[in-house]
Amino acid sequence: MNQINDRSRDIGAFVPAPDDDMIICRCEEITKGEIRKAVHDGMFTLTEIRRYLRTGMGLCQGQTCAKLVKGIVARELNISPAQLEPATSRVPMRPIEMHVLANEGKEDE
Amino acid sequence: MKRYDLIIVGAGPSGLSAAVEAAKRGLKTVVFDENEKPGGQLFKQIHKFFGSKEHKAKIRGFVIGEQLLKEADEAGVEVVLNATVIGLYQDKEVVVRIGEAVHHYKGDAVIIATGASENMVTFEGWTLPGVIGAGAAQTMMNLHGVKPGNKVLMLGSGNVGLVVSFQLLQCGCEVVALVDAAPKVGGYGVHAAKVARTGVPFYLSHTIVKAEGEECVTGVTIAEVDSHFRFIPGTEKHFDVDTICLAVGLSPMSQLLKMAGCEMEDNPKRGGQVPVCDEYGRTSLAGVFVAGDVSGIEEASSAMIEGRMAGIAAAEYLGYMDKEEMDRNLADLDQALDGLRQGMFAPKNRGKDIETTDEGIPVSKNLLKHGFVADEEIERFPGVTHAKGIHPVMECTQNIPCNPCQDACPKHCIRIGSNITALPAVEEGSECVGCGMCVASCSGQAIFLVDETYEEGYASITIPYEFLPLPVVGEKGDALGRDGSRVCEAQIIGVKSIPAFDKTNLLTMKVPAEYAMRARFYKKG
Amino acid sequence: MENRIAEHPILGVPEKGRKVTFTYNDRQVEGYEGEPIAAALKAAGLMVHRYTKKEHKPRGIFCAIGRCTDCVMVVDGKPNIRTCVTPLKEGMKVQTQYGVSGKPFEEQ
Repeated sequence: MNQINDRSRDIGAFVPAPDDDMIICRCEEITKGEIRKAVHDGMFTLTEIRRYLRTGMGLCQGQTCAKLVKGIVARELNISPAQLEPATSRVPMRPIEMHVLANEGKEDE
Repeated sequence: MKRYDLIIVGAGPSGLSAAVEAAKRGLKTVVFDENEKPGGQLFKQIHKFFGSKEHKAKIRGFVIGEQLLKEADEAGVEVVLNATVIGLYQDKEVVVRIGEAVHHYKGDAVIIATGASENMVTFEGWTLPGVIGAGAAQTMMNLHGVKPGNKVLMLGSGNVGLVVSFQLLQCGCEVVALVDAAPKVGGYGVHAAKVARTGVPFYLSHTIVKAEGEECVTGVTIAEVDSHFRFIPGTEKHFDVDTICLAVGLSPMSQLLKMAGCEMEDNPKRGGQVPVCDEYGRTSLAGVFVAGDVSGIEEASSAMIEGRMAGIAAAEYLGYMDKEEMDRNLADLDQALDGLRQGMFAPKNRGKDIETTDEGIPVSKNLLKHGFVADEEIERFPGVTHAKGIHPVMECTQNIPCNPCQDACPKHCIRIGSNITALPAVEEGSECVGCGMCVASCSGQAIFLVDETYEEGYASITIPYEFLPLPVVGEKGDALGRDGSRVCEAQIIGVKSIPAFDKTNLLTMKVPAEYAMRARFYKKG
Repeated sequence: MENRIAEHPILGVPEKGRKVTFTYNDRQVEGYEGEPIAAALKAAGLMVHRYTKKEHKPRGIFCAIGRCTDCVMVVDGKPNIRTCVTPLKEGMKVQTQYGVSGKPFEEQ
């Protein structure tokens, strides 16, 4: 079993910090404190954090905050950021209106 | 589904270079780019590039961009702009948004050349209007002709932070400070020195405490940090600024590769999440290649070579050439890339403390701490000598891959040798005629012409000058030292701007003889 | 237009399209056709593009290349338009975006 995902691992209690109200995900306005708390709520992977808080799920699709969130989660878990699997990459890579996504271009175009 | 031999994502330096090589060999090639214009970041680069002739040294970035576009056009490369690639699948299906529709293309080979995105740091007030990325500043001033701000603080002393600070000065902004949490300047010393000598103070081991303002930035507070990057109370400094510019590194934009299922690794030496690939950009998926910053953060010069390599490797993969021909084609490129990856700033030296140059000379501590070589340190470098009459003084103090000065001198006064990272030295017995070609050719603006016996009691100093308004002959002002502070009065006795200098004007100023080795910039009085 | 670079030491006089007028909320502003809306606003010294949905905080240009989406505004009635990559046209109606609306929060 992947040690990082071992939820029985004791990471200690959540300790409030002075910069907990700092915005990390600019689009969805998620703070550092919320991300740190989420880890203590049991969200050990970036995919879980993303689903739980919507970090990186806003208009910019994590362009700005992905690395920041990774750093915060890693520090909370007391591991190196490199050990954290990045969140899933999938279509669409860029924000796109639903009517465009649903509009298949013609073959000859 | 429309089919291409080769689909390239990204029309920046590496993508276009790859396209040129592939199209020249008959591959039906298309390049998709989400931007309105091709060229990626090259058109925002207005400084002269480093390297050697084969790396297009001493040519400004945007001119290299123009050359590359012309080459792509001549090779018959199809570039589709405003085309956003939103997905890449394992079977090399590329999903592209063009206009109001989504299109699917199949590439027999795919080269991902998406480049990098800017890293950010957080501090109180970092979401305020007026806090911008260094890339945003470059885009505004160099593409759109709009000043990013009037009073700017730059965070980051890597090459991006240094180069963009200089560009801000060039377009008339005031740079109040250059700040970096690291204890040492991260970028080339010559880039730092040309910023420092205009009077911009460097604050190493400092970072931003907060950006101030309600609706937009009106000020900034910085403070010193200890070795664990914690603020040291009582060291706060305030500046009135309207803009805070962040240049804190780049990360490869590799999400498409991850989506396609390429084997990835987190490699801090390459800047983060990168695909596992060989030296020619082959990833773990057959037919999927990478080139440029997406496979590891480097300079545009190396990205262009990597692009050419990937284009050639793709041609071989599709059977447009055999392995023998490929190896022949790659040999020169191997050598060119290897040449760029030498010296103190080579990827292999990242994070290392380098105490002496290859020549065994102790590096300037002051340069790393304050952005300029101290007066008492400068004379130990081989380019800095005294002579009767006019002679070049080359304040090039770090081993970086660059040698245009050697070729520029018609009298062969400057010697670097075959190893392009060696420090330039004055060739003994050579005779300088004061033409100034070396001054204008130095991408780092680190060469000066000095005549210590210009007139009884006076010396003349010729400096590179890329600012407006251009001083006029006869005017008087201040000569500034390497640290940007006033050293003495100076009178302009020459202003030379010829096409061969490529917009680097040569100012000659007269200063009292005792300041010949100290005065290095001019400011109108 | 004090934030315009009249002449650049390396790039010369910036090449621009024809001068056009557009509206920023109730104000008439001048810019050049084809340049990004954000560049015209910046040149006119207008910094705030939007106020965020949750905390109602001001945002403006951040990345300027269409990635960060911080500079989005309501343009010709359409919200979430990235002004840094959308070319300016004569008569465009550019409004501050509040959350995802052109109406101030108290009117929503």
